[in-house]
Amino acid sequence: MARLKLEHVTKRYEDVTAVDDMNLDIEDGEFVCLVGPSGCGKSTTMETIAGLTIPTEGKVFIGDRDVTNLPPKDRGIAMVFQNIALFPHMDVYDNISFGLRLRDYPKEEIDRRVERAADIVQLEGMLERMPDEMSGGQRQRVAIARAIVREPDVFLMDEPLANLDAKLRVHMRTELQRLHKELDTTIIYVTHDQAEAMTMSDRIAVLDTGELQQIDPPLVCYNEPTNLFVAGFIGSPSMNFLNGSVGADAIETPNFSIEFDPARVDGLAPGDDVTVGVRPEDVYPVPEADDVAHPTAAIQARSDVLEPMGDEIFAYLLLGDGETSMSQEAATDDQLLMSIEPDSDLQEEEDISVVLDRRKIHLFDDATGDAIAHGIVDVTGEGSTGTRAESDD
Amino acid sequence: MATIDDADEPDGPLNRWVQRAIEDPERVYRALFYTAMVFFMVTTLFPFYWLLVLAVTPNSEIIGGGFIPEIELFGATVPFPLPVPQGFNPGAFVDVFREIPFHLYMLNSFALAVTTTIIVLVVASLAGYVFGRLEFPGRAVLMLAILAVSYFPPAAFVVPLYDVFAGNAVNIPFTDVALFQSIELLNTPGSMVLPFSALFMPLSIFILTTFYGQIPDGLEDAARVEGTTRLGALFRVIMPLSAPGVATAAVLTFISVYNEYFFSSIMATSPQAGNWSPLVGGILSYQTQYTTSFNLMAAASVVGVLPMLILVVVAQERIVSGLTSGALKE
Repeated sequence: MARLKLEHVTKRYEDVTAVDDMNLDIEDGEFVCLVGPSGCGKSTTMETIAGLTIPTEGKVFIGDRDVTNLPPKDRGIAMVFQNIALFPHMDVYDNISFGLRLRDYPKEEIDRRVERAADIVQLEGMLERMPDEMSGGQRQRVAIARAIVREPDVFLMDEPLANLDAKLRVHMRTELQRLHKELDTTIIYVTHDQAEAMTMSDRIAVLDTGELQQIDPPLVCYNEPTNLFVAGFIGSPSMNFLNGSVGADAIETPNFSIEFDPARVDGLAPGDDVTVGVRPEDVYPVPEADDVAHPTAAIQARSDVLEPMGDEIFAYLLLGDGETSMSQEAATDDQLLMSIEPDSDLQEEEDISVVLDRRKIHLFDDATGDAIAHGIVDVTGEGSTGTRAESDD
Repeated sequence: MATIDDADEPDGPLNRWVQRAIEDPERVYRALFYTAMVFFMVTTLFPFYWLLVLAVTPNSEIIGGGFIPEIELFGATVPFPLPVPQGFNPGAFVDVFREIPFHLYMLNSFALAVTTTIIVLVVASLAGYVFGRLEFPGRAVLMLAILAVSYFPPAAFVVPLYDVFAGNAVNIPFTDVALFQSIELLNTPGSMVLPFSALFMPLSIFILTTFYGQIPDGLEDAARVEGTTRLGALFRVIMPLSAPGVATAAVLTFISVYNEYFFSSIMATSPQAGNWSPLVGGILSYQTQYTTSFNLMAAASVVGVLPMLILVVVAQERIVSGLTSGALKE
């Protein structure tokens, strides 16, 4: 067990910068998820930590050791790969004990450890099987057993559940959490599945175009995203974004305005262009608006498409005249996604008034994308959180 | 000729056969398969059979000929379709070892083949790993250059190599500046293993490159994370998973060297077992200035083939899968 530190790690290929000046400081025993879209550099970051790739610049520390130039075998890490990567010519026992045998552990010690690892991932009685005689979930468990048997300082998991079917994935997710509790080892977990990231991790590191956008506990990433990218990436369905501009006493969007004194937020002045962000669950139809402590003024809208999910309904609302509903460019300004109770009697093509929860409205700088404010409550004078927008670039 | 109308009952055996073949094309494939099989069996097995016939025929009878006896068939006299031995002298298989130390020639060839195969496999594995799994500038050109070695006729190398292995000083061409002086290698295994390794290397590199290139990167990464070096991953994971390819390269190299005569007949200055003269050198020693023991040469050939036969039967399954496909399950 050890803490893990990346200092100014940069990885450049001939014409691409896969990882750009990455700084990470991960505590001992922490479970950190790296999330981001395809090609954001999360796998490269992982390979850099594992030693499969040497960074162009920067340093990697595991514990107190500078491991930047050490080969993978000397780093005290274990890794679970996306494609599982069991050795097809070895049975389960040989696969799990591979690393121990290479390190010349005594036979009894190997047996004891393999047995314990097999026990943890519930593989008893399968040690003689060959990988091609096993199901996907079983193979994945062998891969995890192979990683834990060496009792590494740091676990690296590169989308370990990506190749499993949905049901098994949820099951393995729970098992991994149980495992983390049991082993209390530092785990770095790459995923593009938000649900995995939100539910499992102590902190989420959001990456985009090789740069670290934010690293915070899941709910902080969710409630106080540092910039437009994080706001749009975390949360499903994603946040509504509306173009706005700051007026003397309100924020104007093309179809409605929110009363607000810009002086309450540092660095916000009348005339600034901002992006207004609000999550679907923070949009309320007027009848329920009483529950909202700090509602905005009512906004007129027309319901377009309803998507019943069972536990909630996603309602696509058209703002303004609604003429441009189908054009993608206009969609951000004229469309609002609302999540409502499943027993709502809202119909498609129905006129409706909605309010936004002022405490949950996010303002982003139009030019840089950095967050300016989370929550714009000026009625009581509290709640305007100012800025968390210390940017990472 | 049968018409379409009476297709149900065509006349003549050929027409009936054609009709059935159209209804069931599998029959044609099967017929073609057996035809091809018989052809290849005859062309490969007949020379071997002919060797056996010669081996058991006493040498004095061989020159006389008459291996195809006439037989009476339904009153007509026709030649028997296969040669038969003239007399029976199995002692030839013992005489081959009495006349000359044939087992030593076999041992020479065997030792040369084993050594060359090991060298080729180790070096070609390293090269195959580099060409198959690493990206670097000039890879294609370098690969082509290596393959080009195998395009040269081996005879082109004989004279300069003989010159070097004889222990002569090697000068930079057209000057008197000495480059190096080799130790004398003629009549030692070195003078044969070195050129064999160089000549048979490109094919093995090519085979192993193809195989090693197909092993998923994830497996190598996994091995390295688990505690091997790159080299360790090559020998512990990549090579075992490429077993059919490795076996193919090994067997092809082994057979080529075992049967080699051209280089070794020159590098061994006289065909004596002590000079590391190979199997074929031994076989040709049954021919002297005045006599040629055809029966012993045939017997020796049969004896010499046996180790190959055993090797191929043992490795057959892997060679076949290696030659026909490089496909691997992940």
